[in-house]
Amino acid sequence: MELGLIAIGAGLAVGLTGIGAGWAEKDVGAAAVGAMTEDASLFGKGMILMVLPETIVIFGLVVAILAVFVLGA
Amino acid sequence: MSLPELMSRVVIVGSRAQLEKAVEALYEIETLHLIDYTNGSDDGFSIGRPLKGSQEASERLLRIRAAEKELGIKTDKSEVEPVPVKDIRAQISAGKVDEVEKEVFAAADERNKLVQRISDLEAVHKNLGFLSRLPLDLELYSGYDSIKVFVGTFKTDPSEALPKLENAEVFIAGGKKEVPVAAVFIKASDSDKASSMLSDHGYVEIPVPEGSGSPKAMAETVEKEIAGARARLEEIGTKMAELSERHEAFLAASDEELSIQVEKGGIPLRIATSDYSFVIDGWIPAAQVESVKADLEAKLEGTAYVEFQESRGRNQHDSDKAEPRFKTAPSKMKNGNMVSKFEYPTKLVSTPRYNELDPSILMAVFLPFFFGFMVGDAAYALPFIILGLYGIKNAKSKEFRAIGTVLFFGGIWTFIFGFFFFGEMLGMHFVGNNPLAPGEMSVNWQYLLNIDSYPEWFMSIIPNHGHGIGKLHDVTFLLKVSVYMGVVHLMVAYIIGFYNSLIQHGFRSALHHKGGWIFVLVGLVMVCYALTELLFYSKPMEGTLLMIVAVGAAILLAGVVLAWPAEKAQVILEMPGIVGNILSYTRLAAIGMSKAGMALAFNYMSIIMIGSGGDIVSYIAGFLIFLIGHLMIWVLAILSAGLHSLRLQFVEAMNKFFVGGGKDYEPLMVKRKNTKVVETEV
Repeated sequence: MELGLIAIGAGLAVGLTGIGAGWAEKDVGAAAVGAMTEDASLFGKGMILMVLPETIVIFGLVVAILAVFVLGA
Repeated sequence: MSLPELMSRVVIVGSRAQLEKAVEALYEIETLHLIDYTNGSDDGFSIGRPLKGSQEASERLLRIRAAEKELGIKTDKSEVEPVPVKDIRAQISAGKVDEVEKEVFAAADERNKLVQRISDLEAVHKNLGFLSRLPLDLELYSGYDSIKVFVGTFKTDPSEALPKLENAEVFIAGGKKEVPVAAVFIKASDSDKASSMLSDHGYVEIPVPEGSGSPKAMAETVEKEIAGARARLEEIGTKMAELSERHEAFLAASDEELSIQVEKGGIPLRIATSDYSFVIDGWIPAAQVESVKADLEAKLEGTAYVEFQESRGRNQHDSDKAEPRFKTAPSKMKNGNMVSKFEYPTKLVSTPRYNELDPSILMAVFLPFFFGFMVGDAAYALPFIILGLYGIKNAKSKEFRAIGTVLFFGGIWTFIFGFFFFGEMLGMHFVGNNPLAPGEMSVNWQYLLNIDSYPEWFMSIIPNHGHGIGKLHDVTFLLKVSVYMGVVHLMVAYIIGFYNSLIQHGFRSALHHKGGWIFVLVGLVMVCYALTELLFYSKPMEGTLLMIVAVGAAILLAGVVLAWPAEKAQVILEMPGIVGNILSYTRLAAIGMSKAGMALAFNYMSIIMIGSGGDIVSYIAGFLIFLIGHLMIWVLAILSAGLHSLRLQFVEAMNKFFVGGGKDYEPLMVKRKNTKVVETEV
């Protein structure tokens, strides 16, 4: 029972942060691609802005991993 | 780790009569980065006028480009034998441009006229097609005084309405599938009624071609004419292809030569001139000043003087004091042959400023290292190394050579980590138990190849006595390793930031702006380490652990105090950001895990299919799953490991020290591709 709850919690951690990161990145990505069609040299800057929100999902992943491997062990 | 090359500013002064010679000499030494003159900087000086002949050259260039466009030649992509400069100059001055232009445009004009003629004839042919459905000859449509004639097509069927018109003769050709056509001959005074009725049915007038006889006969004549024009057009096409082949070398070479002449001719527009003299300001790498000076003065035979002005230091204050056009010295990145390939990813963000460290070497060390750690598989490494080598050797564009270099070194690290750290190939460890036994899933080479035992030396070079680090088993360990890598990477970044600040603004400012952060990072790492031990492993807060917390907190506090004068409350607000930055490196382990998870699934599926002793179909299916699955993982590895490794450089590390926005060092020089200088002619 407890292990099941841990697994659900881990899933929620990754899933919800994934939605959050995706939500944030959709706007940045669209704008970055728009900027790049104007000036292709903006790729580097565009990429930096594009990947910023992605850290959220990494946090989610860390929480999930800790939940499964540390709490679950 | 290197700063962009040290630059010196020089000024070249000479008599205006010698300007052309001076420009030639500057292009020959290939080291002077010209500083554009702005009108009004000095009394008595203004920007110059283009060199003699440059007007003519640019006119010729325009005509050459027009001819290239007509022939569909792209000079930057053409691969012709380079023409000696002497020859091309002789050809240009002998009037070959006019000759070629005349020939090309004669053909192009004829082609354009033919295309126009064909489209006109096709329109006539279409109209005749409509008219031939009516039982009237062409001459009957015109030549009346009191009768108005309407001929046209309709959108809706007019066959019921039109016969009701009074004082009119109506001819209608309808049909279910065809567009209705009608001719109405009506008394001129009643034509208003007719035209309103016609427009109700969507009338579109057909212009009746001049001529006599049946429309069908005329349509046949027109058809023949079209066929004739098409044949001629084809001939012209062949002729133009032949012209393109014959003149490509000349066009490409003269385009290049004239572009060079135009560029050189425009130099006076970027420098200061007075009635009798010229002044050129420019940057030269400091180490070359003496040799360039001697070289230039020798070339100009004493008619111009080169004067050294200053060697620009790295202190920001000195740069700010300078006149606006002298403020920014250009950045000439100074890297070895290998590291210079990593300048490309740096430039994706920006060119480093003159007084900041060039991050390319950091990129060269960590980019492939992180990539290798994330992929970490001895088998996936080989295609990376081969592709990378191929890219370095054969790629023509700078971008692909850079990507090749990253893949090559990334491949080498992938192999090192894959073999000596993870002990893994194609997602399978070298050592292991029977995967089909209950509770086991991980397929391994020992089982696959039926190896009883490995030699002792082999077991001793891989950790865990040959088993290697399991990406899915030793997760906590891998997370810790990633975090420590992150701490090192961030520390390097902060130290670079400190150094940049030191050379730009001095020790005091560097200590407040960057030094404080170094202490904060160290303090945070120590406190966080102790907290994790306490929270996750329930270790009591005493002894060493307590010491770590105390020392960490003290260092953290020292960092806050140091950074406070420059950053104020920012230093507190940014702390979670730093923890976030460190945790961001856990992606190194996470991406490795995701690849291992996929590989495990594909390997297990295929081993079950192949190992179950079934029929030939399951053998093939198992093999296909194995092949496609690993190919997919490999392709994903390039994307995810490559991008994430790049991101860690761009976002986590470079944000700590890199400002960018430097000016590229672009010395006056000529690049020839379609022309060549033959030694004897100089």
